[in-house]
Amino acid sequence: MADRNPFLPVSSSDGFNPTGTQVNRRKLIKQLLTIFVGLLAVGLFAALLIGNNGSDNAHVNENEHGSLASSTSKKPESLRPVSRGPAAGVSEKSNRPFANVDGNLPWNNSMLSWQRTAFHFQPEKNWMNDPNGPLFYKGWYHFFYQYNPNAAVWGDIVWGHAVSKDLIHWLHLPLAMVADQWYDKNGVWTGSATILPDGKVVMLYTGSTAEAVQVQNLAYPADHSDPLLVHWVKYHGNPVLVPPPGIDEKDFRDPTTAWLTSEGKWRITIGSKINKTGIALVYDTKDFINYEQLDGVLHAVPGTGMWECVDFFPVSKTEENGLDTSVNGPGVKHVVKVSLDDDRHDYYAVGTYHEKNSTWIPDQHEIDVGIGIRYDYGIYYAAKTFYDQNKNRRVLWGWIGESDSEAADKQKGWASVQSIPRTILFDKKTGTHLVQWPVEEIDSLRLNSNEFNQVTIQAGSVVPLDIGPATQLDIIAKFEIDKEALEKTTGSNLTFSCSTSGGAAERGALGPFGLLVLADESLSEQTPVYFHIAKGSDGNLKTFFCNDQSRSSEASEVNKQIYGSIIPVLKGENLSLRILVDHSIIESFAQGGRTVITSRVYPTKAIYGAAKVFLFNNATDASVTASLKIWQMNSAFIRPYPNDKKS
Amino acid sequence: MKNIISFALLQIACSFTFLPVSQNSALELQGNGGNLIETTCKKTPFYNLCVSTLQSDPRGSSADVAGLARIGADKVKEKATATLGQITGLLTGAKDPKLKMALRDCVDYYNAIIKYDVPVAIEAIAKGNPKFGVQSLNDAANEADACERKFQNQPKFPISDSNKVVHDLSAVVASIVQLLL
Repeated sequence: MADRNPFLPVSSSDGFNPTGTQVNRRKLIKQLLTIFVGLLAVGLFAALLIGNNGSDNAHVNENEHGSLASSTSKKPESLRPVSRGPAAGVSEKSNRPFANVDGNLPWNNSMLSWQRTAFHFQPEKNWMNDPNGPLFYKGWYHFFYQYNPNAAVWGDIVWGHAVSKDLIHWLHLPLAMVADQWYDKNGVWTGSATILPDGKVVMLYTGSTAEAVQVQNLAYPADHSDPLLVHWVKYHGNPVLVPPPGIDEKDFRDPTTAWLTSEGKWRITIGSKINKTGIALVYDTKDFINYEQLDGVLHAVPGTGMWECVDFFPVSKTEENGLDTSVNGPGVKHVVKVSLDDDRHDYYAVGTYHEKNSTWIPDQHEIDVGIGIRYDYGIYYAAKTFYDQNKNRRVLWGWIGESDSEAADKQKGWASVQSIPRTILFDKKTGTHLVQWPVEEIDSLRLNSNEFNQVTIQAGSVVPLDIGPATQLDIIAKFEIDKEALEKTTGSNLTFSCSTSGGAAERGALGPFGLLVLADESLSEQTPVYFHIAKGSDGNLKTFFCNDQSRSSEASEVNKQIYGSIIPVLKGENLSLRILVDHSIIESFAQGGRTVITSRVYPTKAIYGAAKVFLFNNATDASVTASLKIWQMNSAFIRPYPNDKKS
Repeated sequence: MKNIISFALLQIACSFTFLPVSQNSALELQGNGGNLIETTCKKTPFYNLCVSTLQSDPRGSSADVAGLARIGADKVKEKATATLGQITGLLTGAKDPKLKMALRDCVDYYNAIIKYDVPVAIEAIAKGNPKFGVQSLNDAANEADACERKFQNQPKFPISDSNKVVHDLSAVVASIVQLLL
């Protein structure tokens, strides 16, 4: 206090009269006291003012280092992960770049109802997101999903349910689980199924509690003899897992399918984050009720943010079949897959699982999970695999959201579809990739076909393909670019990326070339799916695979980005393409599924009978030869399970 | 003398009570969030709008980032509701069929903001699944853009100012929710 007072005299010798009388001294003391008290008062007042400012400064300093908010939200500035390769482009978190088209086009019912798919899984109405707990049980494939029973936007999430004999023809069943307990009152979120050795099923899923804490819950079929698994029971002692110390209560979700350890325990992993490092926590259990958290994590990658929907599974290095989740051994690699909250994309990496300390190490750190290869370079998220013991394959599901406006979703009354389930295999040729391919059962939807052999497309030309209706198609195509042109073309140092390019309209020496789907006669609307070959100044060729939405619709309120990625093409490989067109969804697979792009398009003219398909070659220096087969695809007639047959 | 001493003692007594209290009340006046609003708003595309909006709400001074996001979402709904009122008011008096069409489309866009985008954002923030909040608020900004586009061929855009506020504020709150990822 005293030191805040600048007015205290340095010495008290002023005015002190060593020879004064006692009366004078008393008077002096009185005077000094008065002055002292007065100064004290002033000093106090000054201190009050200075004190105010002082605490101001203290505030500012603290805030420069972080937030004053509660410790759980103390986050230092994050650095985005370093370059993820040419395909990443602009984060889709930013406003969708709507082209400033002078279209005064409202959606009419004809356009909107055309958008509904014919053979992709979707509920009859409302919103869907993540695939949940897929499994094969007593002759039926089961599919559960995040569902909003009340609106065409995310919210009030419960578990929808459907069954199928062949992963294609789905029948809707009643909701499997609703938000009827305190531990999932705010959401029955994503989870996975584990089939026990005796054939019984257990389901682990995330609940958002009444206090919005993320916990893990156990559920199981009410009646194991019901092949339709209509009714589900939640374990009375839920939750079985709560956020551990050091983990935020809102960063703990999406438990995986369990796998057996050599000690005979079940092991699961759950994604989370610490600051901006994405991590996968590991737990062991014997009964799915009591868990023991392992020290450390399965894996972590700095800068990737929250890891949602972690998936962890083995793939065979040599065989063309899937592996049960518990398989391990010399001929096996393990895949870690994450859904990154930060950029809404799914990433995977191939590596080695070390069971002893339950860690996983990627084969190549530069393409570690979250900073390397994506399952799909379009709109695709929250993917999950399961081991299909019926056909000895690993099958992948992925959520495909909408890329139109929520007003349009509200108007049409629904939002989101699932991808066609894909088989997953290790790509032996590259050693780094997985190959994905639509399950073979989809071939059962093929109707009549048209074949085109060795069609030459000159540089800068478009070839219409007369195939009749063109909104439900399965296209298989091979392309060969003129070899002479490949050799003659001078390379350049320019880097290419699908997302930053001018799309299919931007001509290069050796590309783009491919197909135009959902295009109208006048090509005022078109969605090119294509290859672009870039030749470096060193003569090396790089191939890119892109999907260009920039002219997919004359409507302005839709995503107009160009999706795509570089794709490894090995010596002796032709360029191959498979495209599934199903109204407003296009799934395209290049090089046997080594690189996949899914997109949603919403044309206003290229719909119903007006939709057409073209071959195109917009390269300047090379002609391209294409051979293709195009099938009309039947509807899968996805509908409610017939009431009279339900249990 | 006695008076002076008692006065002095009184002063000293007061100083021990007032000084620490004055420090505390200084903090309280600032609020825990006084500078959190500023640092958060620096990460948004419209700093001034962000600061004035968040400061105008009594909850702002003591909110954490999620709380600020919630306030922001409430404000978007408030502004959008007011703008929707303007639009419907204009509709009743409008005679030109093209103007009516544009206004009706804007009614749809604003209904989407009020009935869908904002409620989804609020739920996403509260339940810890912020990515849906970012998407919804970006959508809200896009809906406002879409409304403006409907007036491209019109001589005037009568709700231009309030529409811009809705757009900009949505973008601001989207950036705040992004911090929760």
